[in-house]
Order: sequence, then structure tokens, then C-alpha cells
Amino acid sequence: MDQVLQALVNGLLLGGFYAVMVLGFSVIWGVMGIINLAHGEYLMIGAYLGWGLFRYFGMDPFAALLLILPLMFLFGYVLQYVLINRIVERPHLMSLLITFGISIALANLFKILFTSDPRNVSVTYNGSVELLGITFPIVKSIIFGAALLCMLGLHLFLQRSRMGKSIRAAAQNRTAARIVGMDINRTYAVTAGICIAITAAAGAMLSPTQAIFPFMGPPLTLKAYTITALGGLGRIPGALMGGVVLGVTETMVSRFVPGIGTNLGVAISFVILVLILILRPQGLLGGLRPVDPEAE
Amino acid sequence: MARVRGRLAQLGQGWGGLGLWWLLLAALALYPYTGVTHLTLFLGSQVFVLVTLASNWNLIGGMTGYVDFGHAVFFGIGAYVMGILVTKSPLLVSPEWGFLQALPVSGAAAAIFALLIGLPTLRLKGPYFSIAMLGTFVAMREIVRVLRPLTGGGVGLNLPPVLNRLGDYYLMLVLMGLVVSIMWWIRRSEFGQSLIAIREDEIGAEMRGINTTLHKILAFMIAAFFTGVVGGFWAWQNTFIDPDVVFIETRTVEMVMMSMLGGLGTVWGPPLGAVVIYVLQTVVWGRLFGIHLLALGILMVLLVLFLPEGILGTSGRGGGTSIVRLWGRIRKRSDP
Repeated sequence: MDQVLQALVNGLLLGGFYAVMVLGFSVIWGVMGIINLAHGEYLMIGAYLGWGLFRYFGMDPFAALLLILPLMFLFGYVLQYVLINRIVERPHLMSLLITFGISIALANLFKILFTSDPRNVSVTYNGSVELLGITFPIVKSIIFGAALLCMLGLHLFLQRSRMGKSIRAAAQNRTAARIVGMDINRTYAVTAGICIAITAAAGAMLSPTQAIFPFMGPPLTLKAYTITALGGLGRIPGALMGGVVLGVTETMVSRFVPGIGTNLGVAISFVILVLILILRPQGLLGGLRPVDPEAE
Repeated sequence: MARVRGRLAQLGQGWGGLGLWWLLLAALALYPYTGVTHLTLFLGSQVFVLVTLASNWNLIGGMTGYVDFGHAVFFGIGAYVMGILVTKSPLLVSPEWGFLQALPVSGAAAAIFALLIGLPTLRLKGPYFSIAMLGTFVAMREIVRVLRPLTGGGVGLNLPPVLNRLGDYYLMLVLMGLVVSIMWWIRRSEFGQSLIAIREDEIGAEMRGINTTLHKILAFMIAAFFTGVVGGFWAWQNTFIDPDVVFIETRTVEMVMMSMLGGLGTVWGPPLGAVVIYVLQTVVWGRLFGIHLLALGILMVLLVLFLPEGILGTSGRGGGTSIVRLWGRIRKRSDP
């Protein structure tokens, strides 16, 4: 029983991280209809930024977020303005290919810059706390808290602020938003900036918990896709739910199925993904738009 | 000029294109007699591998319009089936015989896997399919790593080293000639027209009475079969396989890029793209270590922005290959 509970808690903590990791992917897809295959690479950049700031400036990865967020916002804004905005209204294939190209270029740029040796960030508070017979790893608990904060912040921004309202308007109907005089290019660029900033922040938070290497991206992109299909596009509660479902499933399977190890997380999310896509292609919950691009 | 271009496009589709292709094959078959080194033969067979892979990918990604971001999974399955058959099977005692027997089996294994994975994934539209295949690819690498007794896990398998560069060269030449000729035939046949109809408007194709599922699965299986054969050949030639060298993203990226650069859905585009990328890789950026994929990624972004139909691709309007139109656009811009 204790083991089950422990695995459940671990899965929940992992799920919190997954939720914040997937936010950017989910919102970009929901707002612009672009499946961002370079998502994992933005996480990788964030993780390397966290590692670099820790290694060379002695900054705590969580404190470094204050620096990483604005930096990556700028990166995302420029990237969107210069590249992605040009193909938003072209067929889906083009956005897939361009983000695939970006992902390959980024991963290999980082391989050239930092080699493919795995890097680690070891923080001093790397222990764990025991509470009611269950162990809580400190770092992962902080990530969970930060993830909830991020989600709340993004939710409030989208619901309350003027910019958030225009982002939602652009997601609902691009043409109508343009008719009432919105600058769609700018709205998209802000959306991408925010999404990529949050994604990179998630990557930086990931840096104390696992090894960082240039090719860590694609499995994370795949997981993001699975979670988004589970939770619906651009829905923040959906991201949390999908993240927790995937996190708990992964922990349970690697804990209780013998001889499978932890490396099969990707295979598990793939099985879940195919099941969802076949059984319920519109996603488990509704979202900003249907998951099926043909239904637009 | 327009008429010349039209004639060229017709020539590519017609018997003339195939005739030129066979002439080229004959020239390549005579090439080893001009006294070349083993290294040249080896590089030649590598180019043939690339051309074959690009043509195969084009069948599903270009003609059918189902962009497969995990096609290297079939390459990997072919390579592993070859490795397992040659090293673990008691039936194949003599390695020389074992190779040729195992080669079609590698292809068949990949085709069967394509059937099994295609049944669920080909029902998915557009981007879904792409990512489901990317998932298949990433998952398969982990699965191969876990199945240690069969695949050797992360340690990999060592195949018996048999050095036969001339044999490799001719084998790949025949395979490449066959595959490209099949693509030429498919492009002309009713089957190929149906695939293009599926790409342009799947629902419309279904309304016209085309059994879209059957067509897609068949195209997918053909593409997987030859990719598996090439994978088996590659494993044999390389004499060592492990999950990281076989299931490598580079291979899918190269297939996509070569087809895109040459022109998606054309017969002669992917072979041309393969040769161009090979030349670029060895001549232009080959001197700078490790930059190959970075350059490919950037090239892919640039292609999407400026030349989405590729060199030989024709768009619906006006006719003429896209490179000609790009040139026209540049000229128009420079003289107002």
C-alpha cells in the first residue's frame, strides 16, 4: 500500500512538471494551429541556460528563471515574427516541416557548442523530506509548486489581461480578429514569446533532476503531444490533468511491471497517444479548437 | 521557353525519362571497369542507398501526402532483422548465402510492421500521422534497447565482416534502378494517380470510389519494404549495429530533405535531391565537423520559406519547374 501511495505521489510530482512543460505547446497549437515540433528543443535550451548560469555564475536554477523568462520571451517573439508568421496561413505540412527543421538545427547547434556529453546541475538541497511515511524529493516538490504558479499566472493572463483576450480572440477566429483591427502578427509573436519563455523555464527547472544533453528534445516533444491530445488544446486544466495521467502511468508502469526499467516512458506515452488518436481523435476534453485539424 | 519546359516535364513522365534513367544505370554499371578504388565503390553504394531511401520516402511522403517523420524505423527493422538472422539463426550457416537469403526477409519484416503500424496510424490525418510515426520511431529505439537477448541491447550486434565492395556496388545499383523504375511506373499507373488524389483531397478520392485505406496501406508497405531491404544491406555493409547507429534521426531527416529539395511527389526529384545533398555534404560543409545536420535543418527552413515545391516540383499555376519560376521572380525583383 505504501509503495502504491509512494508511486502515486512520485507520479503526481512528475505530472506537475509535465503540465508546465506542455503549456507552451498546447497554447501555440490552440492559438495558431501549429504543431511545434521544436518544442523539446526549447526545453533543451532552457535546461542549458539553467546549467550555464549555475555552472559559470553560480546561480540557483530557480533564481535563474528571472533571467531566463525575459530572454526566451525575446527569442520566441523574434522567431515568431521572422519565421513562423510567414507560414501560419500555409498548409499544415509547411509548419510541420519548418518546426522540424528548426528542431534539428537547434539540437545540432547545441551539440556543436556543448558536445553531446550529458551535463548535470547538482543543487545543495537535493535531499528529500519524509511526511506520513511518504518521501517527498525537495527539488521535485519545488518544481510542482512552481508549475502550479506558472499555470495560475498564465490562466489569469489569458482570462483577465487585454493581451490575453486578444490572444483568445485570435484563436477563435483569425479573420474576425483582423477585421476588428487587431494586429495578428504581433499577437502571435507575443503568444509565441510567452509560450517559449514558459517552456524554457520548465527546461531550466528540469535541469537539477536529470542529465542535460542536446538530443533530449524529441521524446519530450512526443510527451507534450500526448498530453495535449489527452487534455485538449490550449486548456490549462487539461494540461494539468493530462500531465498527471501520463506521470502517474509512467511511474506506476516502471515501478510495478518487472524488467521494464524507466527508459520506456516514451514507449508508454506513444501507446497512450495511439489509443487516444484512434478512440477519441477530438481529445478527451474540449479545447480552444478541435484536435483534428481537418475539422476546422 | 514554356513549350520546352512542358516537353521536359512530359519527358520525365514518359518513356523518355525511363530510357534516360536506364542509360544512366548502364553507364554506372560500366563505371567499375574504368579502374576505380574500393573507396569509390563504397561511396558509390552509399549514394545509391540515399537515392533509394529518398525515392521510397517520396512514395508515402510526397505522392500520398502522408509526411512520415519516422520512416527510419523501417530501415532499423530491416537492419535488425538482418543482424539477428545472420548472427543468431542456425539455418544461415554460411555468411555469403545468409546475406542474400536474409535480405528479402528484412524487407518483408519491415513491410509487415508497416501493415501493423499503418492500420492505426494511416487513419490519422496529416500532422497526426507525422507525429505518430515520430513516436513509433523513438519508441522502437527504446524497445530494441530493452529486448537484450534478441538484439544485444545497447551493446549491439556484430555481423561477420565480408568485404565485397564490388558486389555491394552492383547490388545497390540494381536495387536503386529497380526502386526508381517502380516509382516511375507507379506515378503513371492508376494506383499512383489514386495516391495523388488522396494527397489532394482524401474525402473527394473516397467519394470517387477509391479505396483510400487499401491504397495508403499498399503504398506504405511498398515504401517500407524497400527501406527495410536497404536497412538490411546497410547492416551487412557496416558489420555493426546498435540502437543508436541504426535508429538515428539523421536518416529520416535526410530522406525528408532530399525529397523536398528535389520536389515532393515527382519521380526524378528525390534522386536528384539525394545527389545534390550528398554533394553539398561532402564538398561544401563536409570539411566542418559535425555541421551536416545543422546545415540540413537550416536548409529545410529556407526551403519551406522560399522553394516549397523543390527543384523539379511544379505548382498548379503556369507550369514550369519551380526553380525556373524562382529565377524569374528574382529577375523581376532586380529590374523594376
